[in-house]
Amino acid sequence: MNMTLRIRLVILLLSLVSVSTNASASADVELRDIYLEVNAQNLREGFYTYNNLCRLCHNLKYIKYSNLSDVGLSKHEIDVLRGTNGVSDTLAASMPPSVANQAFGKVPPDLSLMAKARKNGTHYIYTLLTSYYEKSEAVYDNHLFQGIRMPDIFEYSVTENPKDKELIDKRVQQVALFLEWAADPKRDERKSMGVFVIAYLMVLTLLLFFLKRRIWANLQ
Amino acid sequence: MNKLVAWIDQRFPLTQFVKQELTEYPTPRNLSYLWNFGSLAALVLVLQVITGIFLAMHYKADAKLAFDSVEHIMRDVNYGWLIRYMHSTGASAFFIVIYIHMARTLYYGSFRKPRELMWWSGQGLLILLMATAFMGYLLPWGQMSYWGAQVITNLFRATPFIGDQVVIWLRGDFSVGDATLTRFFALHYLFPFIIIAAVGFHMVALHYVKSSNPSGINLQAKDNIPFHPYYTIKDFFGFGVFLIIYFVFVFYSPNTFIEADNYIPADPLQTPAHIVPEWYFLPFYAILRAIPDLFGGVVAMALSIIIFAVLPYLDRSKIPGGARYRPFYRLLFVVFSIDVVVLSYVGAKPPEGGLILVGQIATFMYFALFTALPAISIYEEKWLRRRGLPPEVEELITAEENQRDIREGKTQS
Amino acid sequence: MLKKEKSDVKNPTRRDFLTTATGAVAGAGLVGACWPFIQSMNPTMDVLSKATTEVDLGVIKPGESKTVEWQGKPVFILHRTDKQIDEMRASNGGKDPIEDEKRVDVPNWLVVVGLCTHLGCVPSRKEEGWLCPCHGSVYDNSGRILKGPAPTNLERPPYQFLSESKILIGNNKV
Repeated sequence: MNMTLRIRLVILLLSLVSVSTNASASADVELRDIYLEVNAQNLREGFYTYNNLCRLCHNLKYIKYSNLSDVGLSKHEIDVLRGTNGVSDTLAASMPPSVANQAFGKVPPDLSLMAKARKNGTHYIYTLLTSYYEKSEAVYDNHLFQGIRMPDIFEYSVTENPKDKELIDKRVQQVALFLEWAADPKRDERKSMGVFVIAYLMVLTLLLFFLKRRIWANLQ
Repeated sequence: MNKLVAWIDQRFPLTQFVKQELTEYPTPRNLSYLWNFGSLAALVLVLQVITGIFLAMHYKADAKLAFDSVEHIMRDVNYGWLIRYMHSTGASAFFIVIYIHMARTLYYGSFRKPRELMWWSGQGLLILLMATAFMGYLLPWGQMSYWGAQVITNLFRATPFIGDQVVIWLRGDFSVGDATLTRFFALHYLFPFIIIAAVGFHMVALHYVKSSNPSGINLQAKDNIPFHPYYTIKDFFGFGVFLIIYFVFVFYSPNTFIEADNYIPADPLQTPAHIVPEWYFLPFYAILRAIPDLFGGVVAMALSIIIFAVLPYLDRSKIPGGARYRPFYRLLFVVFSIDVVVLSYVGAKPPEGGLILVGQIATFMYFALFTALPAISIYEEKWLRRRGLPPEVEELITAEENQRDIREGKTQS
Repeated sequence: MLKKEKSDVKNPTRRDFLTTATGAVAGAGLVGACWPFIQSMNPTMDVLSKATTEVDLGVIKPGESKTVEWQGKPVFILHRTDKQIDEMRASNGGKDPIEDEKRVDVPNWLVVVGLCTHLGCVPSRKEEGWLCPCHGSVYDNSGRILKGPAPTNLERPPYQFLSESKILIGNNKV
C-alpha cells in the first residue's frame, strides 16, 4: 500500500476519534444528520443510485440479487438487473478489480459493511460524499477525507444551482440509507421482534415481582 | 414418580441433595439485591454456552473464512443475527455482572475469613473469563480482533529469557495468523467447561461456609430462611430484570459493544489508528501503559489482578464485615472505585499529553490503596473503639468472638 | 417468625393462580426461546437460494446424458433418441411399472434424480440405462427399475422448461 495514503488514512482515523493533537483540519468536519426517513422508496432509489454510480467501482459482496427484494425490487426488476447472473450471485463492481487498482492505486473498498465500519457510518457516508471541494483550479479534495482518491462522482463540488445541489443531497442520503440497509439487512426484523420479546419479558418480570412480594410477605 | 425417586434415593442422594443444597439450604434473610449477581452470572454463563454452541455450528475458524462466516451467520443463518448479537452482548453483560458481584464482595467484606477460598476461586474464575473473552474476541477476525490479539500476545515477550519464543509458541506463527485463530477457537470452546468446573468448586465452598450478608457476621440459625421459595423467586425476578436490559441492547443497540473497526476484515499490514481493548479490560490496559517499560508494565498489570488474592490478609481490622460499619474502609472503597473509573477512561484514550500522567497517578493510587489497607484498617479499629462502637457492632463482635470460642473449645475437647 | 394470620403462611409454595400463571408464562417463554435455535439448524438462506438449478440443454447431444447438481444431489438429464423413446414406450418397466409418457414432460428429455432408490448410491451410465455399482440395481432409459434390490424407479425432481433448451430444476421460489 502506498505510504502517503496510509499516513493520510491514519490521520483521517485519528481525526475521527477527535482526540489527536496533530490531526488536520478535517478533524473539525462535523458529521451531517440525515433528514430523509428510512422507507421503501428511499431505499429503492438509494439502490438505483448505488447501481448507476457507486457500483462502477464498489462491490457489495454480501448482497445477492435475491436480497434486493428487501429494498422493494420486484422479481422482474431483479431479473432485468442480473441479466445472465444467478439470483444468488453477489453484486460485483462493473470495473474489474485489476483495472480499478491501476486507476486508483488501490482496489476500491467493498461497501457491504461500510455503514457499520465507521462510527455513525450512515452519517459518515452522507457527509463524505457531500464534503468535496475545489482545492485549487481543477484539483478536488474532501474535507472529511483529505487526499481521498475517489472522484466527486455526484459532482457536488461543482454544482452551483441550489436546486440541483438539493437533489444531489437527497440522492446521497438515499445511498447512505441503502448502504445502512446493506450493512444491517436484518434491522427491521430485529426491531420488530424486539418489541415482542421485551413485552413478554416485562409481563413475566411483573408476575415474578408480584409472586416474590407475596412469598416474602410471609416473613415478618 | 415417587417410586422412581425412591429407587434413585437408594443409590444416589438425590432427595437429600436437593433438600440440603436447594430447598432447605439456609440463607440469611437480610440479603439485598446485590446478592443476586452470583446467580445472574450463572445465567449469563448458560446463555453464552448455548449461543456459543449454535454459533460454532456455522462459524469457520480459518483466517480466510472467519470474517465471511460471521457475516454468513448475520445474514443467511436463520436467526443467526440474534444468536450472534446475544453472544457478543452477553460477553459484556458477563463482565458487568461479575464486576458488580466483585464490588459487592469488596464493599461488604465478603472475602474475609472464612471465605478466602471462595474469593480465590472467584478470582480464578475472573481470569478464566478474561482469557475466554480475549480469545473469543479474535474469532470475528476484524481489525480490532486481530490487533488486540497481536498486542496482547506480544505482552508475553516480557517473559524472562525466552520471551520471543513464548510469543511465537502462543501464536504458532511469527505474527497472529491462521494457526492462532484455530487454537483460540479450540480453547474458546474448551474454557467455558473449565469455568463450569470452577463454578462447581465456588458453589461447594459457598454451601460449606454459607452466604455472607450485609451485616458482615455469620447469622444465627434463627436469622436464616430456606433458599426455596424465598431466594429462588428473588433470583428469578432478578433474571427477569436482567433479561429486559440485556435484550434492549441485543435488539436495539447491539453494536454498542462492538468497535466499528471490527467490521473491517483483519489486515496484518495496517494497524487501526487507535487500538482499544474491550471496555472490560480498560483499567488493566491503563495500568499496563502507565509503566514506560515492557517488563514493568506487564508485571504491574498482572499484579493489579493478582493483588486481590492477598486482600483477606491486608484487612487487619477486627470489626466485622466491610464498609457498613467502617467509615475509613468505605472511603477506601469509594476512592478505589473512582480510581478504576479514571483508569478505564485513560485506557480508552490514546496515551497523549496530560493523560499519561493521570494514568500514572491512578496506577500509583491503585496499588497505594492496597498497600495502605493494613495500616488504615488497624488505625480505623482503634479510632472506632476510642469513639465507642455502636452497640449493635459491639454485639456483632461479641457474637463473633463467642462463636470462635465455641469452635476453639470444640477443637480442644 | 411467620405471620400467623395469613392463610398461605403454612405453605408459602401453595399452588394458586399467581404461581400457576407465572409458571405457565415462564414455561411458554422457555419453549419459545428454543425456536430461533432450532431454526438456526435448518438450511440457511444461501442454501435455500440454491434450491433451484438452471440447466442449458443445448450442450447435450442426442443419446448423451449429463449429470448436474441440484440441492447437492446428482440429477441425470438424458437426451433420448427417437429409437430410445420407441424402446421405452414399448415396455412398462419392471417391478414399479409405469408408462414412459408419465416419466417425462417432453419425450426427448428424461430428468431424474441420480440416486439409487435402494441406498442412495449414484448409478453409472450404460447404453441401455443405468447400473448401480453398489448392489447391482438396473434401470432403463426411462429411469425405471428393471432388476436388483431397489424398490422404486429413479425419482423425478420438480422441473420446468424455461425455454426449448433451458430447464429449471426445483421449485422456483425467488
